[in-house]
Amino acid sequence: MNPRAVWAVAKAQFREFWRTPEAVFWTYGFPLVMTVVLGFAFGPKPPDPVPIAVVVADPAAADSDPLVAVLRHDARLSVEVLDAAAADRALVRGRVGLLVHGSVAEPVVRADPTRPEAQLAGLVVARALRDARDGPGVAIAQEVEDRPGSRYIDFLVPGLIGLNLLGAGMWGFGFNLVQMRTQNLLRRLSVTPLTRGEFLLGYLMGRFVLVIPEAIVIALFGVLLWGVPFRGSWLAFLLVVAVGGFAFAGLGCLLASRARTTEGVAGLMNLCQLPMWMLGGVFFANENLRGPMRWAAEALPLTHINRALRDVMLEPGSVLDIAVPLAGLGLFAALCFGLGLRLFRWQ
Amino acid sequence: MSGAAASPAIELRGLRKTYRKGRQTVTAVDGLDLRVERGEVFGLLGPNGAGKTTTVEICEGITAPDGGQVQILGRQWRTGVDTEIRSAIGVCLQETKFHDKQTVRETLELFAALFARGRSVDEVLGLVSLQEKAGARQKDLSGGQRQRLAVATALLGAPELLFLDEPTTGLDPQSRRQLWEVVREFQRGGGTVLLTTHYMEEAHQLCDRVAVVDQGKVIALGSPDELIRSLGAAHFVECDVDDFAGKLGEQELRALPGVQACTFAPTRAELTVASVHTTVPALLELLDARAVALRDLATRHATLEDVFVSLTGRHLREGA
Ligand SMILES: Nc1ncnc2c1ncn2[C@@H]1O[C@H](COP(=O)(O)OP(=O)(O)OP(=O)(O)O)[C@@H](O)[C@H]1O
Ligand SMILES: [Mg+2]
Repeated sequence: MNPRAVWAVAKAQFREFWRTPEAVFWTYGFPLVMTVVLGFAFGPKPPDPVPIAVVVADPAAADSDPLVAVLRHDARLSVEVLDAAAADRALVRGRVGLLVHGSVAEPVVRADPTRPEAQLAGLVVARALRDARDGPGVAIAQEVEDRPGSRYIDFLVPGLIGLNLLGAGMWGFGFNLVQMRTQNLLRRLSVTPLTRGEFLLGYLMGRFVLVIPEAIVIALFGVLLWGVPFRGSWLAFLLVVAVGGFAFAGLGCLLASRARTTEGVAGLMNLCQLPMWMLGGVFFANENLRGPMRWAAEALPLTHINRALRDVMLEPGSVLDIAVPLAGLGLFAALCFGLGLRLFRWQ
Repeated sequence: MSGAAASPAIELRGLRKTYRKGRQTVTAVDGLDLRVERGEVFGLLGPNGAGKTTTVEICEGITAPDGGQVQILGRQWRTGVDTEIRSAIGVCLQETKFHDKQTVRETLELFAALFARGRSVDEVLGLVSLQEKAGARQKDLSGGQRQRLAVATALLGAPELLFLDEPTTGLDPQSRRQLWEVVREFQRGGGTVLLTTHYMEEAHQLCDRVAVVDQGKVIALGSPDELIRSLGAAHFVECDVDDFAGKLGEQELRALPGVQACTFAPTRAELTVASVHTTVPALLELLDARAVALRDLATRHATLEDVFVSLTGRHLREGA
């Protein structure tokens, strides 16, 4: 191992990356922007009124319709009055979750019950109608869960950090490697005394330095902007980020070890990323999945990274609490790098 | 080591390389033998697709041959001495794109760090006259400047053996001459060079010996002058006329004094001659006697191109 060579490769890689503003933005800036946007979208605030539509024959005469009046009276609902055709379109496009027609005495609701918004809208409408018929006496008490740590935003921020590690490993590490191959640059490096191991180590160092600061910045955004709690140890957090980052860098390296075109590696990376986006527990919990979907979710490294991140951010997790998933991720990273190094082709 | 030092810089025996794409096979190198002595500048000359790059990349250890023996500086690839060989060679590939966003100096610093010993970045910058571009990024360089940078990276490790695959393609005449000077300087320092080129003049000016390669085989080998002399004639006389039709035949041209060969067309003839001053007066006399109107008459020295044409019936470069 020639440290001077490793260092030179690392420096060159970092410079090349840093001087490509597009790459810096899409790898690090964009996830940050996404965090901020999602944070404001799902951050702590009163719940939005549930959008529904009342279907009537003549929307112009709707003000005299008692059904419209009752539903409009309820602050939990945002009511549109539409004719049948317009109402159907609003439902198909998802602008409203549910349609109501009929009268106060005999209301009919129409919706696709598998859509979560429809279920919510159905509940709210049922309550509004019952309230109207039975008077104020039977109003159902509601509890709103809004303590920090249990909100969606608290769930989301660790997931976004995990997602960002995935993206950095794939696009920052894997993609660029294939690009260097297509440009004959790897081939040129291969006819120097530089070994594959030295090259990959330097490459990893140069491309990896920004991963950890980025995760810290996202975490700080969450804590400072939306009061996401940080209950565990920062050390454990940094460990998860480092090991998780290596796991995805290893995966990126493995996928890029032989691909000869950037299109080819992009396809492989999408193939790996898509299940993780959907099942990795970023936007919704994957613990309630059943059967094969659950097994699939458990097999994804992102699931374990996100779980460990939530353990140390939302709960008072220490290094010991996450030792098992960390060891598993470390093993995964080692396997990927080992295999990637073996399969690696300069050309 | 003494055995290695006594060995030739490059020795190839029965080299063979076939590429398969689906059902098609392309034999890029077809039983090629070559011996490059230490201290020589050796040129591989041949048309597109002759197998020059494949041969050079086999020598560089990039491509594994399907058959045959390869000895580089007395050592063989894939016998545990690859790093040793790589430390002793400098390579300029036919095409390389370096990191776009790095400056010339940064690119050279990267390559300098890969070798345990070698020349300094500034020294190499001077050799290829890129000092004033040291701070320019790769993407802002012209094609010729990039080419010079590629040659510069090959010189950094102070190699014993330099591989240059079409190093002057795309260079202006001045840069080309400058690069020739770099090669000569390298040779004066005791280095060996294997280069490929399409340019006859370059091969003639620069190479101690040349191998003409066609369809994966060496079809002629020797110093440029030897090869040209082997044609048996050093000059060509080209004459353009109105029309030979009915007035003068090919046989009569061949019968002129000193003519060794003749290519004949209705309005043009090219004579291969040993000496211009014996043939030309006789030719003019004959044309005059037959009332063939001469439009143009030119003479030139034989070149390596003519060697290639006489060996294969084709030109080295299409359209040449
Ligand atoms: N990787 C490859 N896969 C398939 N065929 C190849 C490959 N590399 C070279 N060839 C074929 O082998 C033959 C020799 O190619 P090579 O690059 O050695 O020619 P060359 O003499 O360097 O030509 P040029 O002057 O154009 O650079 C060509 O017919 C080429 O198409
Ligand atoms: Mg070539």
